Amino acid sequence: MTHSLKNTAEDQAATAAPKPKKRKIFDGGFLVLVAMTLFAAIGVIAQKGLWRVVEIFGETIVFAVTLSPKILGGVFIAAAIPLLVSNDKIANMVGGERGIWGLGLAAFLGALMPGGPMMVYPLAAGFVVAGVDAGALVAFVTGWSLLNLNRTLIWEMSFLHADFVLLRLSISVILPIICGLAARKMFAEARA
Amino acid sequence: MNILIGTIVIWVGVFYAWQRLGRTGQRGEALTAAVELLKFTLPRIGIALLGAGLFAELLPQDQVRSVLGKEAGFGAIVLASFLGPITPGGAFVCFAISAGALKAGAAIAPVMAYTTAWALFSTSKILAYELPLLGGRNFMLRFAVTWPIPLLVGGIVYFLA
Repeated sequence: MTHSLKNTAEDQAATAAPKPKKRKIFDGGFLVLVAMTLFAAIGVIAQKGLWRVVEIFGETIVFAVTLSPKILGGVFIAAAIPLLVSNDKIANMVGGERGIWGLGLAAFLGALMPGGPMMVYPLAAGFVVAGVDAGALVAFVTGWSLLNLNRTLIWEMSFLHADFVLLRLSISVILPIICGLAARKMFAEARA
Repeated sequence: MNILIGTIVIWVGVFYAWQRLGRTGQRGEALTAAVELLKFTLPRIGIALLGAGLFAELLPQDQVRSVLGKEAGFGAIVLASFLGPITPGGAFVCFAISAGALKAGAAIAPVMAYTTAWALFSTSKILAYELPLLGGRNFMLRFAVTWPIPLLVGGIVYFLA
């Protein structure tokens, strides 16, 4: 079973490019967003009239202008991270450490990973091929899911209050390591 | 005030990154990459902020309060944990819905459970990337150890509040 799964990851890692293709500005996700916003606008017009939509539009512009220094800063950091920490360096570091320190490092590097799943999962598949232990793999993916700096800075901080974001992060910060430990134990028991 | 604190935290990071990039001579490269990322991000943030405002206006506040408000208790956290993974689209959709729900009277604990559940188990992410790239067994192992997290995070916030 383990062997066949390793092959799955191996085949995929061989065919998947480590770097994502240049992202299209208008993709499916964007169209879903536009469609949802249009439907919401039609709903508000039907319920409360066109003027309410104009008011919300005005409020959104004021809010977006207030947010713009935060958005610009977040985007710059997200763009700078891959230049400061390369994928190869991340792969070497995740594979090179053992113990709880290894799990903490995997979670931390997961949190630093720029880009979305198209960037993270090919790298994680590479870890499986390189023989990184199950705990570090889980800590890496969970660290990226829960603590992703890129997503937090650009998206979460734009929509939600800083105290909401900081509370969520402080509760979540230790969880990838605990999950990594649990995964190691479960993996060891499954093999025994 | 919240926006100010967030902005300061981010710009401290920008300053640090700028210094580091200066040492490696990569400032120009970083700025070009930032402009590319901005072209992708700005239209999404703009539309999603507008969508969040419109969405909040449409949500029936009484019902949101009774289903996801403080009085809904732990059940709201369980419901939100199921809604997170089935949310379509990317981060902008999830956070726009979260902001809309908070505006319409949802409590913090279920909204936090919702964003956490989406972050961990977004169905589109799992189907398009995780299962094909890591395989079913690795996904099941991750799921086996992480499934309680949205309930845990929501529960901690619920009891703190």
